[in-house]
Amino acid sequence: MEAMLKNVTSTVELLAVAAQSGAVEQWDKQTLSRAFDWARYCEHVFSKFHNVPTVRRIMETQLQLTNQGLQAALPGYTEISFSDLSRCQHLLLVGLLNNPELPSKIMEILFDITSNGNSKNCEYPDVTGLCSRIIQYKSARQVLSPLADLSAVGADAAVQGVMLMERLGALLSQGSEVCQIEHFLDSVLLGCEEAAQHFCLVIAAALLTPKNSTASHDFLLDWLQKKDSMLQHMYSALPTRLLKDVAKEHLKFRDAYCDVLKKWASEMEYSINDRVWVQPSSTTTVSFQKLTEHFLSLFEACPSLKEDVEKELSALKTSDGDFDVRGLSVWGDLLTALKK
Amino acid sequence: MAQQQPPIQSQQTSEPLLNVQRMQFWLEKVVCWGQAGSPDIQKDICLHLRRLQGFLQQLVSHINNMSSTTEAMKSLPFLGQFLGRLCWNPYVTADDTSRRLLFQCMWGLYSEHPSNAVERKANQWIQKVLCQLATEEDNAAVQELMKRMGVSPEEYHLKVLRKMVTLLQENIGKSCSSLSNINQRCSCESILATSEACVPLVTCPEAAPLIGALLQRPATCVRAALSEDFLDALSSAYLSQGASLEEQAVVSLWYHSLSSLEGAVLSLLESLLTNTGSTPLEIKQHVAKSLLPKACAQHCSIFLVTSDIFRSILKQAEGNKSIKFLIQTFTSCFLRELALLQPQEHVSLKAFFPQSPQSLLVPLLTLPSEMPQEAWRHHLNWISSSVQRLTEEEEEGDRDSGGSTRGHHKVYEAWFLLVQCGYWVQVTAQLLVTSGPEDFGPLLWLLTFYHHPTRRLHHRALQLVHAKEAWNHLHCLFLVLAGPLPVDRLQSLLTLMSPQPQQPLSPLLILKLLVNFAVFSQQQLSRSTKILQTVVDQSGLAGEAACVLHSLELRLNEESCVSSDSNRVHLRIKALQNI
Repeated sequence: MEAMLKNVTSTVELLAVAAQSGAVEQWDKQTLSRAFDWARYCEHVFSKFHNVPTVRRIMETQLQLTNQGLQAALPGYTEISFSDLSRCQHLLLVGLLNNPELPSKIMEILFDITSNGNSKNCEYPDVTGLCSRIIQYKSARQVLSPLADLSAVGADAAVQGVMLMERLGALLSQGSEVCQIEHFLDSVLLGCEEAAQHFCLVIAAALLTPKNSTASHDFLLDWLQKKDSMLQHMYSALPTRLLKDVAKEHLKFRDAYCDVLKKWASEMEYSINDRVWVQPSSTTTVSFQKLTEHFLSLFEACPSLKEDVEKELSALKTSDGDFDVRGLSVWGDLLTALKK
Repeated sequence: MAQQQPPIQSQQTSEPLLNVQRMQFWLEKVVCWGQAGSPDIQKDICLHLRRLQGFLQQLVSHINNMSSTTEAMKSLPFLGQFLGRLCWNPYVTADDTSRRLLFQCMWGLYSEHPSNAVERKANQWIQKVLCQLATEEDNAAVQELMKRMGVSPEEYHLKVLRKMVTLLQENIGKSCSSLSNINQRCSCESILATSEACVPLVTCPEAAPLIGALLQRPATCVRAALSEDFLDALSSAYLSQGASLEEQAVVSLWYHSLSSLEGAVLSLLESLLTNTGSTPLEIKQHVAKSLLPKACAQHCSIFLVTSDIFRSILKQAEGNKSIKFLIQTFTSCFLRELALLQPQEHVSLKAFFPQSPQSLLVPLLTLPSEMPQEAWRHHLNWISSSVQRLTEEEEEGDRDSGGSTRGHHKVYEAWFLLVQCGYWVQVTAQLLVTSGPEDFGPLLWLLTFYHHPTRRLHHRALQLVHAKEAWNHLHCLFLVLAGPLPVDRLQSLLTLMSPQPQQPLSPLLILKLLVNFAVFSQQQLSRSTKILQTVVDQSGLAGEAACVLHSLELRLNEESCVSSDSNRVHLRIKALQNI
């Protein structure tokens, strides 16, 4: 424990040095490689202990002290929290590249500038050309992305979905408490309004990952049920094709989907001027046609549901007076539209 | 003096002047590329990528030749803008070579000790651009998620790239079923666009599965063509060993791109012919490793192209025994690969050898090991008389119609086929050892024909006379088991081998016969050794003799003939090699 604390503290100090001081002038390839090794060590520490409250508390306290010390020593120092440690290597890189006193030889190593393209065997392969590699991957992605818009989810969301499931799975297998895991999901997926649509995609992608452990999927679904606004957002923003795929895989999702559709229908009012059913002002406006599409797609995914829903709709229509005139009962009109 | 100066001066002034104009040209291009990424722009970039690399290479030298950044910026006014724009073009930064050259250009402008404000600003700008390229994310949502999940950008981008490659690969795998309806749209149209997009990715190992899939998808649809720029970029990357492709992908590449196939064949020839110290075994292994024989067996068209290249090389150097040996080795590797193919993939031999005399095909392409040893002599006699007949027909045709090219052609093709199946010539030499005066005729004719294919009637007759003489000498030398060495015979033999200008017969022919006699005859080893040693010393053909011994050993090892003789023969070969 002692050793670990010491190591983490030293690495945080290292990060500060890398970002601000001129001491980086002395660094050579070996120093650089070791710096990244230590950063990786910190990431490892985080992934092991971020869920162990006792250890976490101790680390956070220590970090606070270190931060204070560094703030006094270096003006313009930005604090590093415990959760920042999960991206320690990235922070190191950003710090280095933004350091105005960065020596050119470090840049040369990171961008692999001096090689003539044939140095496949070098001593420190992880740092040599690190930035060059990152740029290569990013550019290759950009080159391929106009072509790869094939799957409904997109490559980004698909990868993020897998990562989400992996982390969720890890948390569950570590025996973390339910509220902790929910907190994790909250922190990842909520709280960023602009990105809400994207996160919906990620959740959908996560639910579509192969069912290695139903526990993770179930947890995610349970969590989703409690987040009403997110759920609403998903149903209204995502394409029906995608929703259909998810509904096919997960019963809970399907049932919730069905419930939401019925709820939307019940909220609808008939507009005599436009002669259509509309949803009065609500956050998620869905047209009658879209609603019909949703139902049809749901039936396609789960044919067994069709009969039950139709029976239910019939019953509701009867309770509305069982008229066959358009515009009187949303259920009746819905049934008619669905039967076409 | 005054006259000399102007040319030098114009040379100095013309280069930078050219660069400013070319700079302008490239700057305009790059500005144009920066606009919306339509498929036309993508195509233009891929078309110009190679030339851009050449220009960047020139820029690197130019910048490094300048004494300071200030000077460099002064000599090429839009340099900074040009490089800056290139940095944000993913097609340029995805390709290994262009990225490297671009960074070298940028780095060339970085001053270790900036001497003025311009240079300080340049340094800041360079560091900022490079930092942004490496660390900034364009998508805020993605950045948020990465931060919250604790994912490193390198890992993330790599995974997404791999996912994209997988998605695209699956899409290519879907075969197109619109054969019936030509007007029906199919997904194959995206194949051209995908191959175009892969031009900057030929050196990216992550994209290799996609490239392999593009190359190997079955060519069922008319619209599923691969971009030429893609094939060119891929083949030059492969030849300079920048691209890592699987075996089948390489074969497909050769199948699709003639220039890459030619490049591969020529590079094989070059590597083997410059490596003069290789043993026949090493040559054989090198050829087999090159994947070309396998590719030839799988695709008839590849074999035809390769044969044509060999044919034209041979035409320029008829006597070159290394080339002949290479062709022979290649053909036997090819035949081996052909035999390994599945039965349903078998193509008739005629398709592979369309120009060769059909009657000779099967006899020559049958390996000696596939036939009992006792049948060899009869087999070779037949072959010899067939080829003789061809040459006679040709000569008659000449006399009648005053030079018919078809006759020439037939004889040449027969000879080329013989070169390809050179193992039979080796057998001929071996059988001549055990021949008697009555039956050496056809075999000797065949051997002479192999070494001297060009028809000159008068010469051939003379050649045969000399060959007979040589054979007689050898026969005497090696069959007289007791008694003193007939030195006069030896001397006559040496005379026949000496490089006189009018010498009609190739000394190599005689040497080959000699070595075979030394190995296969019943003569005492010490005597054989002495004879061989004398000849080799006096004629200076030690290297060639060693070569003949090696290839003899190789052939015998492969044939693995289990005769009581083989051990003895092997021992003799070993002893003779030690001379």
